[in-house]
Amino acid sequence: MASRRALSVRLIVYAILVAIAIVDFYPIVYMAVNSSRTSVDFFQNPGGLPDAWHLDNFKALYYRFDVLRLFGNTLLDALLAFAVTIVLSVPASFAFAKLRFPGRSGLYMIVIATMAIPGITFVIPNFLLMSRLGLVDHPGSVIIIWAVTAVPSNIFLLVALMRGIPNEVLEAGKIDGISYVQTLARIVMPLSVPGIVTLAIFNTTGWWNDLFTPLIFLQSDDLKTMTVAVATILKRFDTDYPLLLAGLFMTSIPPIAIYIALQSYIKKGLVIGSVK
Amino acid sequence: MHFRTKESMTGYLSLLPAFAALAAIVFYPMVNTFYHSFTKWNGAESHGIGLRNYTLIFTNGELWTLLRNNAIFLLSIPGILLLSLVVSVLLFEEVRGWRFFRSLYYIPTILSSVVVGMLMKMMFAQSGVVNQLLHALGLTDGKTEWLTQVPTAFMVLIFCFYWQTLGQGALIFLSGLSSISHEIFESADLDGAGWWQRLFHITIPSLVPTIVYFTVTNAIYCFIGLFSLVYAVTQGGPGRETTPIDYMIYIKAFQTPDQLGYASALSIVLFAIALLASWMQIRLSNRFQD
Repeated sequence: MASRRALSVRLIVYAILVAIAIVDFYPIVYMAVNSSRTSVDFFQNPGGLPDAWHLDNFKALYYRFDVLRLFGNTLLDALLAFAVTIVLSVPASFAFAKLRFPGRSGLYMIVIATMAIPGITFVIPNFLLMSRLGLVDHPGSVIIIWAVTAVPSNIFLLVALMRGIPNEVLEAGKIDGISYVQTLARIVMPLSVPGIVTLAIFNTTGWWNDLFTPLIFLQSDDLKTMTVAVATILKRFDTDYPLLLAGLFMTSIPPIAIYIALQSYIKKGLVIGSVK
Repeated sequence: MHFRTKESMTGYLSLLPAFAALAAIVFYPMVNTFYHSFTKWNGAESHGIGLRNYTLIFTNGELWTLLRNNAIFLLSIPGILLLSLVVSVLLFEEVRGWRFFRSLYYIPTILSSVVVGMLMKMMFAQSGVVNQLLHALGLTDGKTEWLTQVPTAFMVLIFCFYWQTLGQGALIFLSGLSSISHEIFESADLDGAGWWQRLFHITIPSLVPTIVYFTVTNAIYCFIGLFSLVYAVTQGGPGRETTPIDYMIYIKAFQTPDQLGYASALSIVLFAIALLASWMQIRLSNRFQD
């Protein structure tokens, strides 16, 4: 009797979980399936399966929208921004985690408080600044904005992790007489690799998905990032649903692939700060 | 050089690049926005007009529509909170395949708001698959125009918000649940506590810090994170009916000529709201820490 009751509870639990899974995953299946249909086939039966699988939409994206260039733009912008943000964040995090100097906790509070500032409060002066520097419609503006606005949260995560570096290792380096820059390059950076990988995932997926910054700073079609291109160039063709879906699907592949490959880092990074 | 002074110097020099960059790209422009919120500004020239931008914001009625729109998203938070909580409590029972469900639920969270928005916009289009399904089930005539009228446009936006947030919520609550010690559950079992008693007397109370964190981060998102979603789905329409504050700032600053002063003042209002929300987060998390 008891086991029969347990069984029915288990079935209800499964029914709920499966129902949510369907609502959660169907749109992704819909996106994937319909991206390889012709629009005629699609409009005859939007919810059904294609009569034949076509790659025409992906070919159209390749030839008409220069999708490789859009991918390349995004990748290049994100890599450069990541290099800049790491150069800015690592020494600062090390100082906060391991060095002692007057005003340290006050300065740290300023960095943490900066995380709460909405990006939109400083975008207008920055737009005018970039236009004076000739960087509007130039990847430089997006790279600078991405890199600098990521600094506070990167410092927050790196400080938490660098506190765990044993002081003995740093002392040993000091006794061997290595310079400060060598300490950072040979001891701190290698020991922070898990943290830096986590940051790489969070920063680059965040930037890959960012609409606001590239929408404002980049205007020419050949400089746009993938996400903003989907929202602007592809949107002009918004009657051709399958073509649009193919674009959305391609834009979604990199973050999904990163997630599947590096799940454990993502979970760790998300949990820092949320659970005491 | 004295050892202490040397360490201090190293510390300040390490911070210098980060602070210089933040000063140039965040702090100075913020002060600049604050200053220009008291001016009429076209980007090249500005002249002071005192509090006129602010009085305009608070009297022209627009702010209340914008705030109402943000508030509708805020009011939808308890729903997604409850849903995430239910899902994670069910998954925590370690039904077979819970890891699979967890990963599946997380995938929408990784997608860009633009992708989510445009995908849902298609699915909720008049000829879209949602109408087709509802018609097939005999629930509607299958011709609902979801995005051109108000309560339904909000329903689509909130559905997008829920769809994006469930995975993150489940993940955060699961890690909160796994940090509850097993001994507490075991001693409750020994005392003969049933499943529901355990839920209300142990599980939920231990999750309070996580619930606070989830609620406040999403509340902040409802004020400063909706831009991409609204841009992709409704563009703030019909009229201004689904325009939140951040989208309005974008319209005033980048789509309307000579409104940079007004947009700056609106940015400062938004900043004040974000500050209030963060302050509440700190207050609440201190309070629930013990």
